[in-house]
Amino acid sequence: MKKRINWLLIGMFFVMSLLVGSVAGTLAVGAEEAKITVLNPRGQPPSVPLVPMAVRLDTLDGKTVYFVDVRFEGGKSFLLEMKDWFAKNMPKVKTVFREKAGPYMDDDPKLWAEIKEKGDAMIMAIGH
Amino acid sequence: MFEDLVRTTAYKKGMPRQRFTFVPHPVWGKPASVHREYIEGKDPITGKPVMQEIIEALTKTLTEEEKKTGFLERAEPRLVGSDTPENLQQLFLRNGWTDGLPIILPTEKKVAEMLKRTSHRPDKVVGKMRPSPPHEAWAYTVEKVAINAVMAGAKPEYFPVILAIASTGITSLFSSTTSFARMVVVNGPIGDQIGMNSGMGAMGPFNHANATIGRAWTLMSRNLSGGGMLGETYLGSQGNNLSYNNVCFAENEVRNPWKPFHVQKGFKPEQNVVSIFTGWSIIHSFGSAKKEFHHQIGSLLGSFCPYSSGTSVAGALVLVDPLVAKDLKEVQGFDTKEKLSEWLHKNTLITVEDYWNSGLVSTFTLPQAQLGVEPFASWLKLPKDALIPRFLSPKEINVIVVGGETNAFWQAGDFRYIGSASVDAWR
Repeated sequence: MKKRINWLLIGMFFVMSLLVGSVAGTLAVGAEEAKITVLNPRGQPPSVPLVPMAVRLDTLDGKTVYFVDVRFEGGKSFLLEMKDWFAKNMPKVKTVFREKAGPYMDDDPKLWAEIKEKGDAMIMAIGH
Repeated sequence: MFEDLVRTTAYKKGMPRQRFTFVPHPVWGKPASVHREYIEGKDPITGKPVMQEIIEALTKTLTEEEKKTGFLERAEPRLVGSDTPENLQQLFLRNGWTDGLPIILPTEKKVAEMLKRTSHRPDKVVGKMRPSPPHEAWAYTVEKVAINAVMAGAKPEYFPVILAIASTGITSLFSSTTSFARMVVVNGPIGDQIGMNSGMGAMGPFNHANATIGRAWTLMSRNLSGGGMLGETYLGSQGNNLSYNNVCFAENEVRNPWKPFHVQKGFKPEQNVVSIFTGWSIIHSFGSAKKEFHHQIGSLLGSFCPYSSGTSVAGALVLVDPLVAKDLKEVQGFDTKEKLSEWLHKNTLITVEDYWNSGLVSTFTLPQAQLGVEPFASWLKLPKDALIPRFLSPKEINVIVVGGETNAFWQAGDFRYIGSASVDAWR
């Protein structure tokens, strides 16, 4: 009788182990299946054509450098100080100060044409 | 110092190797002596002397990278994942694709449900949007708008309204150090049809349609144009809390004693329209000591910034509860919104001296005046104490009726009208 009860208990334990293992396996499989794929919310940035940098000067001496103020507050005073620095420290550099026409976000093709014709380099002060 | 902004802007213009030198910030408002110190000092980012860097930038031989031609391609994958929902929420947050709040993950099934509410193909291009004029514009499709609408928690029946907003190409997260805000007002029967609120609490967090439509615009502005990236495509120094939902509501057309806003702009009453406004802030009527409503409104509009740039002018948007609208019409005699706008235009003057001393005016309007653009060129010649209009015309002062008549209040914002778009075109 005792032996039969022992075997019964062992058998019950074995069945319980199988059941627990099965549930645990199901949970593990469920967790793995919980992965999802979603759609990317980003718009499409445009393809950008690369603009190579302009060839550099071997020296600024004897050259004309334009200082362009885009009309952002403080830019004019800043660039005039820089022009003054060149006058004191690099007097062989010819410096020209220009204010761009219109507010700071507007283009100024006339000024670009002048710089292209008469200038060798440009320093533009940009604020925000 | 805007280093990120400068470098990403140059990259997007095709000049990833553009040579820059930085000086300490700000330059604005500093005397010449400080500018001289900046010039004689060091670049705060590289630590190199500023003038040495500038001279090297102009004279040092180009590298092979700097000489490159060709194209920069930046394709975006259609799908994201696969991962657990929790991990995807964190990914979206880390990537800056949300407004900081949890979103509804845009599964293909959810997006397909959203797409059922428009007759347009998912791959149809809705528009292009940029964070602000110097930045590049990104294109986006109907599907992309649907994805962001799902993320916002919008119901599919709101989708035509969201598409209409997207079709304007206007970002709700305009990049400016001033921290702009936007507003979107819905007119037409669709407001009621989709359960929008135009009555009590309409401008507050009490309605699903108002909340999620406005939120969808913020998410679209981040994701469809690359906007809202702090330091790159968003520079608002303090930010603007209105940007969470962009003050999205429907005008109270039932209790409005005047014409609805969209009818004023040429639409028929039965047409469904979204109208977009841009500004910074909203104030409450409590600030005025005047008795009559129009005098109250006039006194507070007198604190709004006057300016005119090449593309925009100062505006005001008056948001009146129906009780106030009724009084203005029946007691004060303003039988149209236009008459109220005309009165406000005449009674919100500013001295010439104060006008030209205004920061935005000196940056944006003075250059126009110097180029001879009227009326600004003539205003330059006026005596300092002469009075001129704060707003260029009555058309810059708009009136919207909204509220639930629990009390006779009004609010006003320094918002100007940008434009309207048809909702019906996107059904």
